[in-house]
Amino acid sequence: MLAFVIRRIITTIPVMAFVALFVFSLLYIAPGDPAAVIAGDQASPADVERIRASLGLDRAYLVRFGEWLFRVLQGDLGTSIFTSLPVTQLIGQRIEPTLSLMVLTLIFAIVIAVPMGVIAAWKAGTWIDKFAMAFAVLGFSVPVFVVGYLLAYTFALKLDWLPVQGYTPLSQGFWPWLRNLILPAVTLGFVYIALIARITRATMLEVLQQDYIRTARSKGLGQRSILFLHALKNAAVPVITIIGIGIALLIGGAVVTESVFAIPGLGRLTVDAILRRDYPVIQGVVLMFSFVYVLVNLLIDLAYTLVDPRIRY
Amino acid sequence: MTAQTENATGAITAARDPAEPTRLRRFLRYLRRHPSVAVGGGLLLIMILIGVFAPLLWTVDPTAISPARRTRMPSEQYWFGTDMLGRDIYSRVVYGARVSLVVGFTVALLSSVVGLAIGLLSGFVRWADGIIMRAIDGMMSIPPILLAIALMALTRGSVGNVIIAITLAEIPRVARLVRGVVLSLREQPYVEAAVALGARTPRIIIRHILPNTMAPMMVQATYICASAMIIEAILSFIGAGIPPATPSWGNIMAEGRALWQVRPHIVMFPAIFLSLTVLAVNLLGDGLRDSLDPRIAKSL
Repeated sequence: MLAFVIRRIITTIPVMAFVALFVFSLLYIAPGDPAAVIAGDQASPADVERIRASLGLDRAYLVRFGEWLFRVLQGDLGTSIFTSLPVTQLIGQRIEPTLSLMVLTLIFAIVIAVPMGVIAAWKAGTWIDKFAMAFAVLGFSVPVFVVGYLLAYTFALKLDWLPVQGYTPLSQGFWPWLRNLILPAVTLGFVYIALIARITRATMLEVLQQDYIRTARSKGLGQRSILFLHALKNAAVPVITIIGIGIALLIGGAVVTESVFAIPGLGRLTVDAILRRDYPVIQGVVLMFSFVYVLVNLLIDLAYTLVDPRIRY
Repeated sequence: MTAQTENATGAITAARDPAEPTRLRRFLRYLRRHPSVAVGGGLLLIMILIGVFAPLLWTVDPTAISPARRTRMPSEQYWFGTDMLGRDIYSRVVYGARVSLVVGFTVALLSSVVGLAIGLLSGFVRWADGIIMRAIDGMMSIPPILLAIALMALTRGSVGNVIIAITLAEIPRVARLVRGVVLSLREQPYVEAAVALGARTPRIIIRHILPNTMAPMMVQATYICASAMIIEAILSFIGAGIPPATPSWGNIMAEGRALWQVRPHIVMFPAIFLSLTVLAVNLLGDGLRDSLDPRIAKSL
């Protein structure tokens, strides 16, 4: 087991190295002159040269990559062009709202999506199943900001049940914090629910045809214990895998959701950075999110042994 | 979806009709058996027609500014109202179909072609496989929207650059799919037989591999088209996409953002069109997947 954990951690190193190389190389892949674009239309040639030097575009590619990687490995993501603050500090200030939003969305989505998928598979072909799957197709098709505005319009503006926008830190109490996050979490959870419910249903349909399910049924076990104890346990691995892969959707969606609901998180930081063309900040955020994504999926790989004792490393 | 899986198997048995049906009748029967292809394809066709014939659909110049008629509510004269600069939202939404569809189709096509090439290379050239797969794993670890955002921060906003940015973000998915198909096909007896008979690699690729990648690639391309349209709208919405003057659904929503509490329709009209178009493409993709290969119908 320990050998596997170490081996698995080692395999993520080349992946992370390629992420770093790619994020760094974007400066060189981008069509046109990034220094001129970042400097803006009113910039003098001297400004463009200054930005070119600060991005290191005037030096050799590999030398520059080596230096950059060396600093990133020490936890230095560079300095924001606009605010002159370290990127790590900017990220640190914005991490709580985004983390809150994602954790809440994750819990909310799993609580809704897994039972939805299980019931859809159990009632396969009936109107319940069709309704659940129609919802899943809709979830994939309606963009996250559309869901956000619809919900905000209905539940905040018209019914006045929840705040329209904003964020309250957890330190000011659990309920104020939760109240502000309910609509954003439902918004962000929409597509995620669609994804998880679809995979849960597909996996459950397969599992329910297995012999041991028939055995359980002929033993006289109740429907609920067959579904949630016998079947869901065996469907757990693909479902957990898709929950991990779907984190990429959550990260992308958070950028938009935070703009719609004016939440001062990492997504908002990214959007502000784009409008100011503050590339070091964008680079830092992309690198950090990718790192988190790889890490979450690594942990999920390691967690397989917990849900499926047949998997041994 | 099981209902469609059953339909697909039904299509095989029904194929032996005594009277050879015409092409049209066969097509109509296919549509009846796969309602999601019919509904999705029909809806998409309507959107394409709207985009193509935009100037004829009672529209005015979508970029014409008129400060005297700012933020009007929907009326007989301005069907969807006017925006903050007095531009006719109906005309902007109708012309916006062009941007979304062009971005969606171009990204689907480009990423399929490039992804196919990379996937074939990875599947056939053993020493390159390791490097390519690590690179693809790396790229897939960056959420596609963030990757596109990062690229757009470095270039000037234009339809071409948006297409390049989204294509780069989507290529790894195709490459990985093609590589998987190639690896499984290489083990097939008929491919091994062709190798044993002395067929060269290009011939094997063209005769045996390519035809088998087409079905899964077509399905993948529809999903990429849907995802590209959403990413384009998101990029434009957060101000990192197509220049604001160009009527695109994301841009119209971005402009409506400041006013959405008092004039929610500015956001909602483009939102409805975008959602319907993406829904159409997704339905088409689901239907194609179920009809092309009933075995993979349940896997997603």
